Amino acid sequence: MAEQTKPFDSKLQAAALLLPTIVVLVAFLYYPSLETFRLSLFESAFLGQDLRWTGISNFVELATSSTYRNSFVVSVLFAGVVVIGTLVLSLLISYMLFDVDLGSSSYLVAAIWPYALPPAVAAILLNFLLHPNLGIFTHYLELLTPWTLDWFNSGPQAFAVLAIVAIWKQLGYNIIFMVAALNNIPETLTESAQLDGVGRLKMLYKVYVPLISPTLIFLVVMNTIYSFFSTFPLVDLMTSGGPSGATNLLIFKLYRDAFEFSNYGLASAESVILFVLVAILMYIQLRATEGHAQYGG
Amino acid sequence: MATTTDTDSTPVDESRTISQRLPDNLGMHVGIILSVVAMAAPLLLAIVMSTQTTSEVYEVTNLGLGSQGLSNYQTVLSEYRFTTYLLNSFVMSIIIVVGKVGISLLAALALVYYELPYERAVFMFILLTLLLPVPVRIVPLFQLMADLGWTNTMLALTGPYIASATAVFLFRQHFMSIPSSLVETARMSGIGPATFLFKVLIPMSKGMIAGVCVITYIYSWNQFLWPLVAVNDKSSQVVQVGISYLQGSAQAGLTPWGLIMAGACIALLPPLIVLIVLHRPLLQTFAVQRK
Repeated sequence: MAEQTKPFDSKLQAAALLLPTIVVLVAFLYYPSLETFRLSLFESAFLGQDLRWTGISNFVELATSSTYRNSFVVSVLFAGVVVIGTLVLSLLISYMLFDVDLGSSSYLVAAIWPYALPPAVAAILLNFLLHPNLGIFTHYLELLTPWTLDWFNSGPQAFAVLAIVAIWKQLGYNIIFMVAALNNIPETLTESAQLDGVGRLKMLYKVYVPLISPTLIFLVVMNTIYSFFSTFPLVDLMTSGGPSGATNLLIFKLYRDAFEFSNYGLASAESVILFVLVAILMYIQLRATEGHAQYGG
Repeated sequence: MATTTDTDSTPVDESRTISQRLPDNLGMHVGIILSVVAMAAPLLLAIVMSTQTTSEVYEVTNLGLGSQGLSNYQTVLSEYRFTTYLLNSFVMSIIIVVGKVGISLLAALALVYYELPYERAVFMFILLTLLLPVPVRIVPLFQLMADLGWTNTMLALTGPYIASATAVFLFRQHFMSIPSSLVETARMSGIGPATFLFKVLIPMSKGMIAGVCVITYIYSWNQFLWPLVAVNDKSSQVVQVGISYLQGSAQAGLTPWGLIMAGACIALLPPLIVLIVLHRPLLQTFAVQRK
């Protein structure tokens, strides 16, 4: 839009219109974030009433803590599994929907509804359906496979169950964007490949995946942020970080350090590390797709 | 919107007829049905089990509708404070939706239609908050709520969510796509900013506003971590945390899973209905976001 067509020029009015947004962002986003950085350099006691400057010792403590390092590794692995699992499954589903021309019909709702699924509800449903003794999924899984489901005691199984729930909840969001991207491909681009009689799966990864790769990069970033930041309810309601730290994701450890152990300084240092992580991810996305906003808050 | 833009040749319809001739379309349909059923299975099973008594639930493979009918739902609503939780969730979500849409419309109006010094810097200042999700500022935010005396109140649940970089971004994008001839006409007729906002911009942005409302509503309703931190008084709690109380209240003896499933279904229903009814504007809004 051309600059000179702006109809209004009262700077006072413009400031007044921007004021509510700026005030809220400063009070509840910028100020607490700066406080996080400040607190991360202190040791706190008595619910943050007593602060003692300790420089970077909180960060040193985290870097040398085997619990924190475990959480870090678990979170990175978890993000890897969730991102890949979500992308592969939603790509297959989106491609099928696109192929049979359902990509813009109302039936699409049957595939995207998990977008509306509250993570806490997802966790509680599968707590029950995958319950080692009572779960109906457990029952048939054990009937049809040689496995025994014991995720209350087995670390790897708890990790897997958590990943399945995280992926399930995230499918809707991914399918929304993938179907839209597939629908936007001009047919002239894919025609020649279809004439060559290339198989469908080969078409998918030889032709369509490269064409929608900007969307896929966007989703890799969004899914990574999701698996680091939005999985708290799953851990809290399903595993409490256990067994023996196997699902102790960074976000859950942060919560416990802050609000169970009231270790505000250390928890703030953990927040700072999470901030660095989001910053890196958003930078990657910006570089890769040149300037889009994420959804989240 | 398009991932590629270098095609102005006329679209040929041949590819359609060719894909119709392919014999394995049936496989695709079967694949879709299986995927959709697999995604919905946990929910469908939960609905069935929410009608069962605890002893029926403990017969693992019992898939019949239970003898409880809807009475688990009644119990959850009346005896486990779910009416309160639901009301709190509704009030919280609606305040956030109305507040966020309202103040973001104003901010976008200023950014797009006012001669603004440092416009780029102001926009970046708003956009940079995307780097600051709740976990990055949770400890000081919690302390701030305590200092303001907001703990356990609706102010704590809604205040930090009222402004949003994403909503401002989306409205700004949309306003910029409104034809400048229309803006010029409005300018020539000498209408004020309020008339311009309510008579021109809002009517021309109905779809976008509806989309942002849906996204914000679902996002607010599904919040868990912040309400857990900001509210410790059960009478002020929202339904997402409420279902965790329900699960926690029954650790000893036989767990009343039928009851818990009823609570979970109740907590899911409002955002699900909103999505089903308003999926069109939601999809259009997401399309702008990824443009």
